[in-house]
Amino acid sequence: MEHRTLKYRWHIVGLLFAAFATVPIWGSDYVVLFCLLYFLYLAMSQMWNLLAGYSGLLSLGQQAFIGFSGYTVAVLTNYHGVYIWLSVFIGGVFSALLALFMSLFIFRMRGIYFAIGTWIFAEMLLLGFSNWKYVKYGTGLFIRPAYPPSMTMIYYAAFMTGAVALAVVYTILRSRVGLGLMAMRDDEEVSETMGVEIFRSKLFCFLVAAFITGLTAGVLYVFQIFIQPYKAFAIDWTVVLVFIVIIGGIGTIEGPVVGTFIYVLLSQWLAEYAHISLLLLGTIAITIILVAPKGIMGTLQERTGFAILSPRRV
Amino acid sequence: MKGLLQPLLNGVLLGGLYAVIAIGMSTIFGIVKLVNLAHGDLMILSGYLSLVLVTWLDVSPLVTLFLIVPIMFFVGFFIQGFLLNRVLGKEMEPPLLVAFGLSVIMQSFLLLIFTPDARSLMTDLAVKTIPVGATLNLPVLYLVDFLIGVGVILAVYLFFRKTYMGRAIRAASDDEEGARLMGVDTRKIYAYAMGIAMMTAAVAGVLVGMTFTFYPHTGPQYLIIAFGVVIIGGLGSMKGCLAGGLILALAQLLGAHFAGPGYQLLFGYGVLLAVLGMRPQGLFGKI
Repeated sequence: MEHRTLKYRWHIVGLLFAAFATVPIWGSDYVVLFCLLYFLYLAMSQMWNLLAGYSGLLSLGQQAFIGFSGYTVAVLTNYHGVYIWLSVFIGGVFSALLALFMSLFIFRMRGIYFAIGTWIFAEMLLLGFSNWKYVKYGTGLFIRPAYPPSMTMIYYAAFMTGAVALAVVYTILRSRVGLGLMAMRDDEEVSETMGVEIFRSKLFCFLVAAFITGLTAGVLYVFQIFIQPYKAFAIDWTVVLVFIVIIGGIGTIEGPVVGTFIYVLLSQWLAEYAHISLLLLGTIAITIILVAPKGIMGTLQERTGFAILSPRRV
Repeated sequence: MKGLLQPLLNGVLLGGLYAVIAIGMSTIFGIVKLVNLAHGDLMILSGYLSLVLVTWLDVSPLVTLFLIVPIMFFVGFFIQGFLLNRVLGKEMEPPLLVAFGLSVIMQSFLLLIFTPDARSLMTDLAVKTIPVGATLNLPVLYLVDFLIGVGVILAVYLFFRKTYMGRAIRAASDDEEGARLMGVDTRKIYAYAMGIAMMTAAVAGVLVGMTFTFYPHTGPQYLIIAFGVVIIGGLGSMKGCLAGGLILALAQLLGAHFAGPGYQLLFGYGVLLAVLGMRPQGLFGKI
């Protein structure tokens, strides 16, 4: 299914990249804020999609990495005076380490057990942090770097995480690991007999997703300035990521790209009525599962063959 | 040792409540092979329904059960019949995600109507205790929870073992294809099963509302408790449900006794993760 868009896809991607890279120059404050949020959520939803859509790891515990990395950034900058972007990077590393530790327990579980296992881990972190004096219990911490970064700096950090997340997912899916994952998604047993190293591929994706989710959360908390356990480790993060990916199209790279746009638009539009936007998103998501289970982009691909970032080798 | 008796007693009583929280989820897990991620929120919904009736009719929360249990049967019947049945298939994700979406919708909806304030179903049972011996107190409310909880589980057990309908539901679930070939509408059977599960959730919701405070976002907390009980006890086993409830409640209360109340939930989760890691089929599970 050769398609015209495929021929020009790198031109389109390049143009978009250039446009977004210069947002602080041509955009208003609102546009910058919008794009900033867009890239942060894009990075995180791509990672959830990598797990749930490609690796068969239905994680309901992404908030564990978000909160853990956010707290790492807060503690490092506040208590130890670490340079802010370095601490964001360390936050990502720590969250990958947390994923490694979690995998000792939850990689023995499958399907729904894995989902609830990750969720319980996040709940345990929530309880742990809200009972921990070092991080001021439930009151939370302000992130006060010695030299607060400008909005433009934060924007570029967010832009980087979004672009990196996209590139990483694309690269993984086109690599041996990705081919193995997609084979596994189609038939786990057959792919295993054909030599796909299922456990290692899954673990690899889990760690990568934790690292990038952590990195993104670090930038997010540099932007938000304040971290509190009940917000940082709330299931709400994962709820949003799930809705984004389902609406956009689970198991496609373009899905989260579109889903995130819809989410950020909706959440900005209904900023004062957060629960109404969740109500709306939930209803849209359920309708999509019932009517078009492949989501907006999945259905579009099926109907027209349109795919700008297909991991398929053509 | 003396100080230990009170948390032990409370733990056992609380275990009965946990078992009734979990029984509906366990039933659906066993029959429809679905984890109803909205179980906790549907429970809390019945708590709110009871609250409305209590303020409106000025009766005891336990009396409202006569109305809420049938209402919740229909809620469950419709959720299964019109939403979940449509996505049941080979893959496990779609029904799971629909239930997850339902849970979020329900929370937002409750928040919209009832505001985020903490509520509780007031009864005069709450302050009563029966002294046992010199130092021990038996909280009447916990005792009521325990008795009703055990009663509900017994009723569910008898329903699935002794009645025609119960056996039919189990048969349809055991061999779905066979049942369908015989002309049984398995989807409708599933809807009935969900209705029954929601009847138990209604009881659980009212009991929880009487015993603790609740607000629109409490659902997931009880979902995790329910899941914990089901995991510890093993799938679809009624005995396991009771035992799981007892173990989880005891772990929580003893944890709180030794490490401080802030760690109550943490200990419960710890036990749960340990069981999940070592014996995923549960202590009483067959597999």
